[in-house]
Amino acid sequence: MSQQKLIKMRRATSLALACGLAAGAATMTGGAEASAAPSTIVIGNFNPFSGADASFGPEMVAGCQPAARLINAAGGVFQHKFSCVEFDTRGDPADAVPAANKMIATNSSLGGILGPSADEALATVPILNQAKVPMFVDTGQAFFDKSSYKYMWRLTPGDDVKGYALALWAKKMGYTHAAAIFGNDAGSQSDVPTLVRAWKKLGGKMVDNVKLALDQSSYRTEIEQMLASKPQVIFTEIDPQTAGTFLSELQQLHGLIPVLGTEITLQSPWLKAVTGAIGKKDMTKYVTGLQPYAPTSGASWTTYNGALLASASQVPQPAQWSADPYSMTYYDGVTIMALAMLAAKSTDRATYNKLMTAVTEPGAGKTVVHSFAEGKAALAKGKKIQFVGAGGPIAFNKWHNSSGAFEAAQQVNGNVKIVGEVTAKQIAALSK
Amino acid sequence: MNIYVLSLGFGLITASILAIASVGFTLQFGVTNILNLAYGDVMTGCAFVAYLVTRAGGSLPEALIAGAGTGALASYGLNRFVYTPFVRRGTRMFGMIIVTISVSLALQNGLQAIFKATFFSLALPRPSSYTFAGMIFTSQQLVIMGLAVAAMLLVHSLLSWTKLGRAMRATAADPELARSCGIATDRVIDLAWLLSGALCGTAGVALALNVTSFTSTAGGQFLIPIIAAAVLGGVGQPYGAMIGAVVIGLSAELSAAVISPSYKEVVAFLILIVVLLIRPQGIFAEVATQKEVVA
Repeated sequence: MSQQKLIKMRRATSLALACGLAAGAATMTGGAEASAAPSTIVIGNFNPFSGADASFGPEMVAGCQPAARLINAAGGVFQHKFSCVEFDTRGDPADAVPAANKMIATNSSLGGILGPSADEALATVPILNQAKVPMFVDTGQAFFDKSSYKYMWRLTPGDDVKGYALALWAKKMGYTHAAAIFGNDAGSQSDVPTLVRAWKKLGGKMVDNVKLALDQSSYRTEIEQMLASKPQVIFTEIDPQTAGTFLSELQQLHGLIPVLGTEITLQSPWLKAVTGAIGKKDMTKYVTGLQPYAPTSGASWTTYNGALLASASQVPQPAQWSADPYSMTYYDGVTIMALAMLAAKSTDRATYNKLMTAVTEPGAGKTVVHSFAEGKAALAKGKKIQFVGAGGPIAFNKWHNSSGAFEAAQQVNGNVKIVGEVTAKQIAALSK
Repeated sequence: MNIYVLSLGFGLITASILAIASVGFTLQFGVTNILNLAYGDVMTGCAFVAYLVTRAGGSLPEALIAGAGTGALASYGLNRFVYTPFVRRGTRMFGMIIVTISVSLALQNGLQAIFKATFFSLALPRPSSYTFAGMIFTSQQLVIMGLAVAAMLLVHSLLSWTKLGRAMRATAADPELARSCGIATDRVIDLAWLLSGALCGTAGVALALNVTSFTSTAGGQFLIPIIAAAVLGGVGQPYGAMIGAVVIGLSAELSAAVISPSYKEVVAFLILIVVLLIRPQGIFAEVATQKEVVA
């Protein structure tokens, strides 16, 4: 081969490489326009998949995968397929900040994200917001009740609301003396101030308030101190391993007393850890969880559940998430993003972010849709839509928050059984 | 019941697990000078073996034997097939620490990949509770405490009265001199890893029993108190590790009762810092920093 041919070949190779890089870079500018060639739109699942809150991640995946499945089955968004990609924050801001930066910098087709959780939201929401990444956060921190982050959306109730729900249910059950046993992590502690305030407002007495150091080998001294104050009920939010140790030691030392927990107490990892520690019988008898109200019926839920059960290859034991309110909101979040892209006629993040409320808020003449496929069809006909999610109707306030009622549930023979409800009206009255 | 007396009892349980683990950790370090940061993860692996044994219908003694056996074999294997090749290539102490961290991460993530990121409990009957002198113990906790006492007596007897114990002490003090005196240091080191591993495995099963629900990270989280107990007592000193375990275990529980549970770890580690300020070499004197790693 002559020297000249060799140089030409090198030039051609360099040109091809440059074109390839340019093509790759072209999709990095915040999402492709409607006319761009079809590619995959990444939905980041930005949550802990390891560490103390490793249970959060799988719950998120259980919402994202069915949504992506339905979106892709309906032809995608401008033929772009949706793909759920996990980004592990390890539940620690020190790990989450570099993870967020890396996710933004290295994912050319990031369409939006689910998360961050309470563990890393304060550190990462400003970064994600600055990068114009629409995010459906799952933190309950009251800080986000009235925040001005344009790209932050929340479909789950704030922690202050959880505190009201716990206090209202305890009052309904006739308890007057309670102990607050919460983990010393930021997420768990954010529930406590409103719980204490609401419990006092309802005439209850908080006889003990303990910040538990997580994942210790023993909590026996803490248990003895708590029992010395004679509580009738324990309010709690602690991670599964800590809960298993704490409750089994309580059971061994003096026997259990009723436990009222936040939604974490109804999630699969918590149920597995604690049922293994105290047994099924005592789990049913003593533990009640309060979780955001999530209907397990209706057109939207049926669609969600069907897609979830069909996603067994991506979601292990998918049926465990059928009644999970958080998985439902993640599903809703992805569907809302996809519909907003269609409504905006663009996958550009900054453009479609403005249309999130347009596809969810009710309005005269709007077509109510219960799935991405219905929404896509209606939008194609030039109609305005209101998407009703698997978790019910969505009504964002001006701070991008949407929350509702709570249901009390217990674990019975491996299934979550609803035992009552705390209404949005009761919560609103108490929070005034 | 008096909360301080109760806490004393609870502290003894924590100290017992810590003692078994930290004596195993420091015994191996004393002989080989390899700071094995994968120790906690080997503990976890042994807890999983015990889990499988109990799931198959095995009893607590069977689970403990399986855990100790697995720990011994795993530690021996780690030394023979991973650490020794590095030592023979002249890897210094800092390099070996990085190797053990790598092994730790590989073990932890390997266990998570096999068993998934979920929670496990040993399938054993619920223990009965007993009260002694104002302290409450379950039958399983009594077994753990009994094991700790037996392990400590065994280690003491081994080091004080047997030829192997004397050979271990000689190897720990100066491996070159020990070798030139005709001691088969390779064999001594192998036996040190086996013994340390057996204690590690026993501690892993005891930890799983105590925390009730465990994950693939349980042993790793327990490594800091283990190292603290070993350092407090004087690194490489089995008797020091026993004392260190008792100090850490009791101070954590008693401080939870006297001050607040929030300061449980703070107080335990403050004691560690204060002791090291006064006696940098730990409660028991000898320091191994001048030695090189041996295999």
